[in-house]
Amino acid sequence: MTSGLLVAYFEDENGLLRAAREARAAGLKIHDAYTPYAVHGLDAAMGQRPSRLPWVTLLCGLTGTLLAFWFQRWTSAVSWPINVGGKPAHSFPAFIPVAFEFTVLLAALGTVAALFIRVGLRPRVGLPRVLPRVTNDRFALALCTDGEDFNGAAAAELCRNAGACEVSAVEEAP
Amino acid sequence: MSVVNVGHDAGHGHDGGHGHDAADLHAAPPPKASPVGLGAQPVLLVLTLLGLGGMGVSLLLWPQRAFSGLLAAAVTVLMVGLGGLVFALLMAVSNAGWATTLKRVPEALAAALPVGAIALLGVLPGAALLFGWVEHPHGRGAWLNLPFFAARMGGILLLWIGLAFILTRSSRAQDRDAALRHTRRTVALSALGLLLIGLSGSVAAFDWLMSLETHWYSTMYGLYSLSGVLVAGVSAITIGVVLLSRRGRLPGVGDNHIHDLGKLMFGFSTLWAYLWLSQWLLIWYANLPEETTYYLARTSGGWSFLFWLNLVLNWGLPFVLLMPRAAKRSPEHTLRVAILLLAARWLDVYLMVAPSGDAIHPGISLPELSALLAVGACFGLVVLRALGRAPLTPVHDPYLGESQHHPG
Repeated sequence: MTSGLLVAYFEDENGLLRAAREARAAGLKIHDAYTPYAVHGLDAAMGQRPSRLPWVTLLCGLTGTLLAFWFQRWTSAVSWPINVGGKPAHSFPAFIPVAFEFTVLLAALGTVAALFIRVGLRPRVGLPRVLPRVTNDRFALALCTDGEDFNGAAAAELCRNAGACEVSAVEEAP
Repeated sequence: MSVVNVGHDAGHGHDGGHGHDAADLHAAPPPKASPVGLGAQPVLLVLTLLGLGGMGVSLLLWPQRAFSGLLAAAVTVLMVGLGGLVFALLMAVSNAGWATTLKRVPEALAAALPVGAIALLGVLPGAALLFGWVEHPHGRGAWLNLPFFAARMGGILLLWIGLAFILTRSSRAQDRDAALRHTRRTVALSALGLLLIGLSGSVAAFDWLMSLETHWYSTMYGLYSLSGVLVAGVSAITIGVVLLSRRGRLPGVGDNHIHDLGKLMFGFSTLWAYLWLSQWLLIWYANLPEETTYYLARTSGGWSFLFWLNLVLNWGLPFVLLMPRAAKRSPEHTLRVAILLLAARWLDVYLMVAPSGDAIHPGISLPELSALLAVGACFGLVVLRALGRAPLTPVHDPYLGESQHHPG
């Protein structure tokens, strides 16, 4: 995918947020940001589009609702009608709790599965390279270097001005 | 208009002098109180008087409905006021910073609790018309007798008003002396206050609403009513915040605050629906005669339309309308949903109160609407007055900086 990256490391999230905003303002393309924990406001600073994951959640949830209602109706009213406390075989209210639980179950599992597939998180041999210390105490901003008018020195200078403690070039996408 | 404010500046030192997008926040209003809603106040006063007139007429023509309407209006308004109080206490006890910049709104709602209290005490002279246990023997006399009932009512109202008073007094004192001890004391007050409100709120729901039907009971009833308190509180806060920030009176409020209020409305509305279903489903399932009377009265005759409409207005519509992220971030949209939820709140309370009498069909006309108008308009008037009594931005609250730099 990306042929090369310029990675700037920061001591804290404020430098990272500032660099992300300024890099975008300067027309640089941001590959990704790596942080030890979720940083509030980073999505906006990186200019990311809203996630499409909620649509998967909605779709899986609706599937769960319909499936649960259909199955309960089939088992208790169609395949083998059961008399429970003299209530009609198709007693909609009695199906609500199971339908609710199944909605939540499918929505949750579907969301996690979709996320794993989309970001390529799977068991594999040979871990992708991880930037040093970003799982510990460093915040990293990776800039794409493949632009026509990419000026490495200017980009590094921009990051240093924003508070980067170290800037280095990486050959391939981590 | 250019008073430098220390508490604010200390809050965003981490920005390192950068952040032009936050520059307008520096123009926080000076720490002094100024009137709110001067144009609306006379209107509300006139509406209150009109409502009182309507109540007087209803009292002569339909005394039972006049008291029933007053009870519904009083409980609705108490839910709003108590909701404001609970919101403020929740923010304090959890050390939440995001809502600090708008905290005068819940405080003003809590400060208007006495309006609901007076309205509720006004129901006492007509208690015999509403509560069957006043005149008929029922075997629960040790708890349900008028003197003890009135004493409990007085005690519970005093407790809520007292908590609201201590909260607003300490919050306003911090405006003057900037002392941190007010924040610490409010945290302690909140922990105790929320516990007391949980218990007293349940007793209040059992007494004022559930005992309308002497022999019917539901252990969910207290929690169900308290979920209504949460909805009422957040909806009223949203209305206040959107209207104030539209006029530029809450400079610290941005889309992220509206988003949070929208999320809370969505969540509390769903909590209410969850408890509504829990109470209804168990009674439907067990089908015991002494339990089903409550729902039989509400799903027969002309009541069943309102019964199902209640579920749609309090949950179905808000759930759909608030689900998209963009909807929760739009001040205009959240304002509309908040107004819908407040109207639906009254309908829910009305359906807890009115079908308990012997009316076969719902009647929403002069007795109910005049009581709602009088109590509601008077409550709104007192809220506006309370908002004008303190600076709308609590400049010395240590969480103000965090609140104004709400990153979402």
